[in-house]
Amino acid sequence: MRTYALIILVTWMSTTVLCQSLSDDKRCKCICPKVSIVTNNTEIVDGERIRYVANVPPNKCNCMDVVITKIANQLNGKEGEFCPRCQCKYENRNTTIIKVVVIIVIWIISVLVIYMAFLIILDPLLNKRMKGSYQEHTNEDEDSSPGPMSHDMTVRGNVLNRVGHQQDKWKRQVREQRRNIYDRHAMLN
Amino acid sequence: MEKYPLKRTGSPLGNTSPTYQSVNKKYTNENNKALYTAYDDMIDITTSGGGEAAARSLDDDEAMQYSISYGGMQDSAEIPGIGQYDDFHTIDWQRDIAHDRMRHRYLVKKKQDSIWNLIQGVHDACSGWLCVLLVGLCTGVVAGLIDIGASWMTDLKFGICLQAFWLNQEQCCWSSDETAFDSGNCSHWYTWPEVLGSTNKGAGSYLVSYLFYIIFALLFAALSASLVRMFAPYACGSGIPEIKTILSGFIIRGYLGKWTLIIKSVGLILSVSSGLSLGKEGPMVHIACCIGNILSYLFPKYGRNEAKKREILSASAAAGVSVAFGAPIGGVLFSLEEVSYYFPLKTLWRSFFCALIAAFILRSINPFGNEHSVLFYVEYNKPWIFSELISFIGLGIVGGIIGTLFIKANIYWCRYRKLSKLGQYPVTEVLVVTVITAIISYPNKYTRMSTSQLIYLLFSQCGISNTDGLCDYNRNFTDVNSAIEIAEAGDGVHKAIFLLIMALLLKLGMTIFTFGIKVPCGLFIPSLCLGAIVGRIWGIAIEQMAFYYPKSWMFTGECSTGDDCITPGLYAMVGAAAVLGGVTRMTVSLVVIMFELTGGVRYIVPLMAAAMASKWVGDALGKQGIYDAHIALNGYPFLDSKDEFQHTSLAADVMQPKRNDMLSVITQDSMTVDDVEILLKETEHNGYPVVVSRESQYLVGFVLRRDLNLSISNAKRMVEGICGQSLILFTNGNPPQTLGPPPLKLKKILDMAPITITDQTPMETVVDMFRKLGLRQTLVTHNGRLLGVITKKDVLRHIKQMDNEDPSSILFN
Repeated sequence: MRTYALIILVTWMSTTVLCQSLSDDKRCKCICPKVSIVTNNTEIVDGERIRYVANVPPNKCNCMDVVITKIANQLNGKEGEFCPRCQCKYENRNTTIIKVVVIIVIWIISVLVIYMAFLIILDPLLNKRMKGSYQEHTNEDEDSSPGPMSHDMTVRGNVLNRVGHQQDKWKRQVREQRRNIYDRHAMLN
Repeated sequence: MEKYPLKRTGSPLGNTSPTYQSVNKKYTNENNKALYTAYDDMIDITTSGGGEAAARSLDDDEAMQYSISYGGMQDSAEIPGIGQYDDFHTIDWQRDIAHDRMRHRYLVKKKQDSIWNLIQGVHDACSGWLCVLLVGLCTGVVAGLIDIGASWMTDLKFGICLQAFWLNQEQCCWSSDETAFDSGNCSHWYTWPEVLGSTNKGAGSYLVSYLFYIIFALLFAALSASLVRMFAPYACGSGIPEIKTILSGFIIRGYLGKWTLIIKSVGLILSVSSGLSLGKEGPMVHIACCIGNILSYLFPKYGRNEAKKREILSASAAAGVSVAFGAPIGGVLFSLEEVSYYFPLKTLWRSFFCALIAAFILRSINPFGNEHSVLFYVEYNKPWIFSELISFIGLGIVGGIIGTLFIKANIYWCRYRKLSKLGQYPVTEVLVVTVITAIISYPNKYTRMSTSQLIYLLFSQCGISNTDGLCDYNRNFTDVNSAIEIAEAGDGVHKAIFLLIMALLLKLGMTIFTFGIKVPCGLFIPSLCLGAIVGRIWGIAIEQMAFYYPKSWMFTGECSTGDDCITPGLYAMVGAAAVLGGVTRMTVSLVVIMFELTGGVRYIVPLMAAAMASKWVGDALGKQGIYDAHIALNGYPFLDSKDEFQHTSLAADVMQPKRNDMLSVITQDSMTVDDVEILLKETEHNGYPVVVSRESQYLVGFVLRRDLNLSISNAKRMVEGICGQSLILFTNGNPPQTLGPPPLKLKKILDMAPITITDQTPMETVVDMFRKLGLRQTLVTHNGRLLGVITKKDVLRHIKQMDNEDPSSILFN
């Protein structure tokens, strides 16, 4: 629950201060060693890498166009030595899809959690109240033949009834599945 | 009466149109009567045909004939439920395929009548392709959803992108410039200590991160387990053993339903993100099959016919693997080699198409931003030395051993869970496993990262962009385009190897306990990871050997030039294939999946060698792969077409009833509704043979219990005058006497082409018939008289008994 509160807060924030740079969908990423590797000859590679990112067309995704434009003043004319050590890669993504998908996932999970909470907390209370009619309802349905009886009922009942009927059927199925798996251990061990 | 079955039994699988033609002709050609001598045939023809009447309206009569005798579309509308199956029953492939053929023939006949019928015919012809197209589309979309959702939620354990919460760490730092690369961090990405206001350094923040990691892991796992428990218990596990069983012709109602699909997808995202040692590839097959099942209801041809539906499910399974690994061909072969039972060429092409569409959709969603549908796609183009093949075979042997070890331990643990009190606490078990996994995983950076990322790291080469400890060699990069020189391993590599060995032990141990807990969990990724760790370590060892002894006979002089002739990443890949092969016992599909993952045809031979060695070793140490072992553990009625039946028993030994019991039969025209209802009450058989009379025991056909029940209750409601004393007729004619209540005619539910064998048929042949024809039962005769029945259950029990296993463990109705 705490995550959701946070997420809602963050959504709110993000709508106001969405930085342009986060919604770029193309980049050219170059990974290079530190500049000191060519300027200061005594030092060998110490594992440290620097990455340079620029939004350039794919044909310009190379060290000369991306890295050198940024750090030309530090290199003192040693571009020819530095550039072969850089690895450049053009990548693209689609932030809209990511955004939509993540929001859908959050929605589905929230709806399921709320429904689960409803079924655990509220449903037993509601059912206790309507015990009499509910019991009858179940018995009627246990007569598994979907003949004229159930037909009558769907015609008679309104939409809400029908939904409730479907829900009961589904609940029975889930109960059966639970019995198979969690109690009898007959399946999916 | 008998001429129908006689004509049909001739070629139950072949092209039946000529036979039906001739059956129809008999109504028009009165001379044919003379050919049939049985007296009830005469009655049959005079009552139902009647010469001129039939000749006048031939088409109508034909249509009726089809619908009545073989339960086509019209028939199932008449009595709801006929032609379907109960939960936990086996389907009758022969009957379903015959139904479909009749329906198809009816449509072809109708085609000339009107434009509408023509459209119907065309729709019917292309509905298979249309259905797999839709399945491919939906599978691709759902896979994209799961991939993006899981990668976002996995990173949520570490921090959040405050400016755009929907981005994961990689995406959040997409365009941030000039960061020190190894931390992978940037100013947009806030780790949890930073969100809480402290800095990112020091023991305090480490503890906070640790705590958040555990809390999130626990939260995700708890959500996943309780959603599964609450809404769809069938969504737990990998699903491949059950899919295999379903495709072999078993009904598990609700296993491929809507709720299972939703909960499996959501639960999969949650359980993958919780950092448990599990993968999403196996469940993806289940998800694809759910989609296939749901969409097949849009097309009655597939939705109402269980045998035809399984063609769509085979194609869906291919699509599932295709999106899981971005390997369409591997998916088709996986469906063929591992899951499918009945796989005609038509299904092969459809699977191909379905896998193609699914892969294309996922690829265009581009969930990982790397232009591929898996995170650990690597591209290799380095040659391998011929003598390395010995190492690869060695890796295969190790893979086989690890695989068998894993199967044995996992099955032992699952059996313990099944039989002991542990099974009563499914959610608690998930939470405990999660907490332990999270606590042990976090300190080691190789287990802290997601398993796919670890595999990617192990597969990739040590180029300039790879700064991990694994690539800490004493070498100097001067040009990315020139070959990497061979170098001595630095301290980083030694430390990484130590951490990797710890990771190997942890992953092996945790996967044993994880596979089988009640959340959606797959096995491919953990096994690939185990193999990749072993392979990488092995590869580094060989590489260092080549560095110190470049002139050794092993390297045939290829390493003396100073280039890096050994690629540890390739060893990781071969090792991954070996362990996965050892666990699942796949061969062809495994190699194809692996080479589609790497995009290099060059490595087929190493992969083949490893997969083969691993299968040999695995098969020598333990007979079954993990899926077959789980099928056996659960007792699913799966008649494996790979095993051979090597005993010498006869059909008479297996048949029911045994020597001194009575065979329950129904006579064709002398039993009343009450008699049949008593029989149904007193016995529990799923079907009854129909005979001419009890004395003669001449076989007429076979009727299913479900159909009988449904028809009787339906007739009691709908038809006037049917009561307990009504005769049940399986013949076309009227009963001899016309007194009393009207008879109940049930010829339309009678299967008049039951497969029969004699009591002296060797069981080897019988088992073969069950496998290849997909039978549900066969009738045993002696001297032409009905003697007994052999069902699939009897066969499975007999096989278990012969193998000295407990025959009562089989789940069956």
